[in-house]
Amino acid sequence: MSPKIERGIYIAVIAVLAIVLISFGKKELELKKQMPITAEELYKKLSNPKVKVQIIDVRELTSSDDIGGYEDSRIPGALPYPNCDDSKMTQGYLVEAKKRINPYLYTVIVSKDGDPEIFKKCAEKFTNVQNLAGGMKAWQEAGLPDESGEYTPPKAGGGGGCL
Amino acid sequence: MSMTERILFWIAIVVLLVATVGVKNKVSDLEKKVSQVSQTQGGQ
Repeated sequence: MSPKIERGIYIAVIAVLAIVLISFGKKELELKKQMPITAEELYKKLSNPKVKVQIIDVRELTSSDDIGGYEDSRIPGALPYPNCDDSKMTQGYLVEAKKRINPYLYTVIVSKDGDPEIFKKCAEKFTNVQNLAGGMKAWQEAGLPDESGEYTPPKAGGGGGCL
Repeated sequence: MSMTERILFWIAIVVLLVATVGVKNKVSDLEKKVSQVSQTQGGQ
């Protein structure tokens, strides 16, 4: 067999395998979107410094209900993105938070109660995203740590959640 | 075509095969979990 043909066969096999791998990867991301993550699973991920997780909190900044808004109680390191609405990201610390949102990072969306509708809306803006099952309510009920107050960017890089 | 080139091609093929099998297993696992979740939600 001539070297050109042999090389061509190898390249074709590699290309086919790469296409199959990419399609499986895409399918995995799509399935992940349908699988909500529990508060305990998220806590474990956040506790592992090797895993990079971006937490996006889509609740309003303040709220008078039991769960509260972003400033009342949130997962440590969560970035505010009220209702996933870009038009709301123009005031105060939201401008800085918007700059830190990375659409290509593994992201967990936190709403009040894990509302699938708001998750669907936000999921379009991120490539690798999961919903927090039960939202902030589940996080609080599990007795996991939270923080409050205005968003302050981390001093040494980093983007998302940290404990 | 040199032997080195051939070996490099084979290494690439084996790496891709292993990665594909790994991702395929992950996808199957996720499919099972998703169907379980949808069944639970449907039952409620």
